[in-house]
Amino acid sequence: MTDEQPLAAMPGPAAEASKAEPQIVFTPPIDIFETEDGLVLLADLPGVSADTLELQVQDNKLTLFGKVRPPVGDDARLLHQEYRVGHFLRSFILSDEVDHERITAKLNHGVLEVTLPRVKRSEPRRIHVSSPG
Amino acid sequence: MAVFRWGQPWDPFRDLEREVDRLLASVSLSMQGLRFGRQFPPVNLYALDNELLLTAELPGVRPEDLEVTVADGVLTIKGKRLGPEGVPDERYRRQERARGTWQRSFSLPERVEEDRLSAEMANGILTIRLPRAPTPQPRQIKVADGNA
Repeated sequence: MTDEQPLAAMPGPAAEASKAEPQIVFTPPIDIFETEDGLVLLADLPGVSADTLELQVQDNKLTLFGKVRPPVGDDARLLHQEYRVGHFLRSFILSDEVDHERITAKLNHGVLEVTLPRVKRSEPRRIHVSSPG
Repeated sequence: MAVFRWGQPWDPFRDLEREVDRLLASVSLSMQGLRFGRQFPPVNLYALDNELLLTAELPGVRPEDLEVTVADGVLTIKGKRLGPEGVPDERYRRQERARGTWQRSFSLPERVEEDRLSAEMANGILTIRLPRAPTPQPRQIKVADGNA
């Protein structure tokens, strides 16, 4: 009962956002591993809080979008920069093996953890065949 | 008037290069997850009116796994980021997130009040506040007349 590709990552758009909100969007790094009950997805979303995270399942697509607020006001002068502040966006295709209704998620210290349980298969049921007469 | 300074002024890029060399020499073996050639953690440094602000992206690092020290104008942050416990490698379908131990040091660009430094972790972002030390006033030094 293994599915080779239950999750296929699609690269998120890494494009400039609209002019009204001059923010960039990044594709966050992720881990996916198997457990007894299904799959777990971890995504690095530094600066994203539960209030600013949107997680959506539509049809067979799981989309995460995390907004990041700038850490300082406009009056701060940037002396040195190694990372840019931007939002995070990434989408995944879910296989039929994943029970969409039971997907849960939590956010720990800027890491999103999505639990994707496998669909429960019912036990084989014996069907009594009656013979006429 | 040009002000004479002892030693080198702040040069982040020189410091960065030095840091990269040092990291490659010492820590890289323990950071196999870091395959992007980027330093971990990436930091930004901001100047505000009365303080400097250093921010670092450290998702998944718990405050207890983090150490921040400052001495003689050098700020050091070190810590570790672990993967989920009890998950063998063969269970991974995808592994992109960095893990391991890391350490970085920064020479501060100006004098700060090291006793009043504060740090906090929120949503995977470390923020260190470095209050700027007041600029020392020039002090008149009386020159004694050696002939007297």
